[in-house]
Amino acid sequence: MFYLRYLVAELRRRPARTVLTTLGLAVGVGLVVIVGALSRGLDDAQDEVLEPLTGVGTDLSVTRPLAASGDGGSAAGPQGAFGQLSARERRQLEDENKRNGLDFDLTKLGKPGDRFATDRVVATDLSFPASQVAKVRRLDAAADAAGSVALNAVRIEGTVPEASMPGGAALHGGEFTVTSVTVSGVDVRKPGLGKVTPAQITQGRYFAKSRAKARDEAIVDLGYARQNDIKVGDSTRIAGRRVDVVGLSSAALGGEASNAYLELGRLQELSDREGRVNGIQVRADSADAVGRLEDEIARQLPGADVVTAADLADRVGGSLADADDISSKLGTALAIVALLAAFLIATLLTLSSVQKRIRELGTLKALGWRQRIVVRQVTGESLVQGALGGLLGAAIGIAGAAIIDAIGPTLQASVEQQSSGGFNPFGQGAVSAGSTDVVLGAPIDVGLLLLAIGLAIVAGLLAGAAGALRAARLRPAVALRSAE
Amino acid sequence: MSGPSGITPAYELEGASRSFGEDSRRVLALDAVSLTIGRGEFVAVFGPSGSGKTTLLQLLGALDRPSGGSINFEGQSLGQLGDSALAELRLRAMGFIFQQFNLIPTLTAVENVEAALAPLAMSWAERRETALDHLEAVGLAPRAQHLPTQLSGGEQQRVAIARALARSPRVVLADEPTGNLDTRNGELVMDLLARLHAELQITLVLVTHDEWIAERADRVLRLADGRLVGDSAAEGATKVTP
Repeated sequence: MFYLRYLVAELRRRPARTVLTTLGLAVGVGLVVIVGALSRGLDDAQDEVLEPLTGVGTDLSVTRPLAASGDGGSAAGPQGAFGQLSARERRQLEDENKRNGLDFDLTKLGKPGDRFATDRVVATDLSFPASQVAKVRRLDAAADAAGSVALNAVRIEGTVPEASMPGGAALHGGEFTVTSVTVSGVDVRKPGLGKVTPAQITQGRYFAKSRAKARDEAIVDLGYARQNDIKVGDSTRIAGRRVDVVGLSSAALGGEASNAYLELGRLQELSDREGRVNGIQVRADSADAVGRLEDEIARQLPGADVVTAADLADRVGGSLADADDISSKLGTALAIVALLAAFLIATLLTLSSVQKRIRELGTLKALGWRQRIVVRQVTGESLVQGALGGLLGAAIGIAGAAIIDAIGPTLQASVEQQSSGGFNPFGQGAVSAGSTDVVLGAPIDVGLLLLAIGLAIVAGLLAGAAGALRAARLRPAVALRSAE
Repeated sequence: MSGPSGITPAYELEGASRSFGEDSRRVLALDAVSLTIGRGEFVAVFGPSGSGKTTLLQLLGALDRPSGGSINFEGQSLGQLGDSALAELRLRAMGFIFQQFNLIPTLTAVENVEAALAPLAMSWAERRETALDHLEAVGLAPRAQHLPTQLSGGEQQRVAIARALARSPRVVLADEPTGNLDTRNGELVMDLLARLHAELQITLVLVTHDEWIAERADRVLRLADGRLVGDSAAEGATKVTP
């Protein structure tokens, strides 16, 4: 077909114009694709960081931390924080830790000079009846809920002193070693809402589905396992009981990470907290329902601290957050500016090219070409240039994303300490500060890729049609007088 | 009105005028020209630069519309036809030759000739064959695949002539066809045009400011300041002085 050959000839035999217009569009499209890929990569990186924070499917985490009503406790020190508790809270906490707390008589451990070892399980969060879990589960906006217990298993070893000194004061005498392990109890019937989830298992397996079988099983945090040379299959002592390590879990940045996880019922027994929990993990009906659910829980459990996944995301800082911030603020603007600039360049080049061809178009009209055929011809050329620019831009974008993937820049994500009261000597039950590195990828968003190519084609189409219409409307005599 | 009697007219102009600009800036390029051109005539429009020759040619070629008066082509008033009808008329009945050849620089010689045939319903093979035949007629078949930049001025103008004749038009309008050529190539082109005119019996209207080219025509129309000041066919009957 003649018109097609003419079109190809125009593009092929005016290489400078074709390359310049195509490149102009390609750079714009490429930038849009790269910025889109980076933005998506940052989102993925943030999700990767947040997944262990939030757990799989957990939208809200409910605790009843000490001094939940005020947030200046950390500055006031432990005693100060304790002092901020209401009389009722103090009584409850003392009662919870009475039988299994750190307040004990050394003389009952043996004769002076005897070696001793004792295991204690203490909590820094107030507990509430497990029946509250069912109540939360029944809330309108709740899809499911699971209870948990987060405790500190403290092992004290040493020699019974000559003079008995009851109470914690003896702990500072230098004759004792104190080791503390943070332990969480997991409702194995609801693994998706556990303090540790199957997704976090890096070695071994998750708890057995049966509570009875899971009773003597433990999952150990990977970092803690490395420090203490614990492997899958080992038998280790946690909270004074021997348990089998069935799996290792990845560190939960900023999450309520524990050193070890036991079956919930087992830990309740070991800590004398049968029928009580001090954490509830809740999944909302939908993302939209999270805010409503948060309010409902706060009404049902006065004084409870309800943390949503969004709250956790807000606490993520470091270069990841900075990059994500830049991406959301600047990335979109950069993509729009790049695309607009590309379209402007393509339009100006096309209009300039048409302007230079006015006499040629006048000649075609003199030869009997109708206006619509002239417009179609010029628009077709621009359309093909737009498509070429779009495809080349897509290739540039994909190549750019591949380079980013190959380089794999590392971003740091850090999480600030949650200000949950500060009376928290072992860090259990609070979001622990920390940081992790996450490799930034640049996954291509196919939708964005197609949109950018489409926009380039539309830009070519519009620019060509505008220029061609302007030129083709001229009387042939006027067009023929135009200088080349 | 002047013109040889007994010949069916191709063109009939009655007070045809063309002005550009408005009010005080108004320039009258063609001033009430009346004439008749018979079918098959070889007419030279002669005059100095700015005399209105090209304007007259563009009006005859339906490339422009008159500001006043009327122009009939084969009995049809060009002023009453729409743009599409004028395009159709140019396609079916007219061929153009320009001083600067106006070949499309990105197309080869044969493709340039095909450009004139493109709007006509014909197969690719038929179009190519017709284009090659016309290049053959102007002696350029061996240069069919050359781009205009690879051809001499004379060759380019011969391609333009082949393009003008490709659709077998009834009228060929040539605007200073030798203006950009040296004397030798100019003569070659004129020989070619004269031969084709004789062979094809087409109406040939040629604009020139060269006396020797005008002399080769059957009839010379002289223009000065937009007015028709001489017509060789009418001389003796109506003597027009410049």
